[in-house]
Amino acid sequence: MTTDTLVITSESRQLARVRVWLGEQLARRGVDAHTQSALQVAVGELATNSIKHAYGGRAGEPIHISVASRDDGVVIQVEDFGRPFDPSGYRQPDLSEMNESGVGLYIVKRLADEFSFDLARERGTRWTLVKYQPGAKPNRTA
Amino acid sequence: MDIQVTQTGGVTLVVPQGDLDMGTADHVKRMLTELIAKGQSKLVMDLTGVSYVDSSGLGALVAAMKQARAVGGNLKLCGLQDDVRSIFEMTRLIKVMAVHSDRQEAVSSW
Repeated sequence: MTTDTLVITSESRQLARVRVWLGEQLARRGVDAHTQSALQVAVGELATNSIKHAYGGRAGEPIHISVASRDDGVVIQVEDFGRPFDPSGYRQPDLSEMNESGVGLYIVKRLADEFSFDLARERGTRWTLVKYQPGAKPNRTA
Repeated sequence: MDIQVTQTGGVTLVVPQGDLDMGTADHVKRMLTELIAKGQSKLVMDLTGVSYVDSSGLGALVAAMKQARAVGGNLKLCGLQDDVRSIFEMTRLIKVMAVHSDRQEAVSSW
């Protein structure tokens, strides 16, 4: 499994850099343009979450983004070392309301085929999302 | 992010160019808030030049739309690129915001 990693600091101006880098990584792995765009949004949401919530807007803190190839798709991880995500505080947004915030993780869930987070670490949160190649997504409903 | 603002009749046309993310959302929100405060609450935003919108960007547009509606106006959108439109559909904002296919249609809808 080939893994490439980008390390950024926790400033919003870095998000454009993430999008460019991720697009290149995904294109190199044969991911189509539409899926690239979707994953750019998903990873952007996770990096934004790290900047806003894990680091509370504090600049200069590290965020690691990695892309790994595997036979059936790609695995992307976004990792910060700030305040861990608190799943007990997360509420699924009510989309019948006009939300000004709170839809970021919902968007990630919708764009990824699999989405998880790891809090069993000294600090911070590691988010993992999986996107399968077309036709490779396992059918788990059977 | 570059933003052009043009008055056409009683409608204010706002044309941003670039990505609408956490880094630019506050700027857009502030600019729209200032227009509404000046009485320019009939707004059309042409997103033709915007290829990326995330939840921060959506939040800025929803906030401005609420402000405009509160004073009898609205923020109408047009020119959504396919990937941008899919984010509006996913969050169901496509159903509650006024979204038009192009600038002419959006402006004349006032």
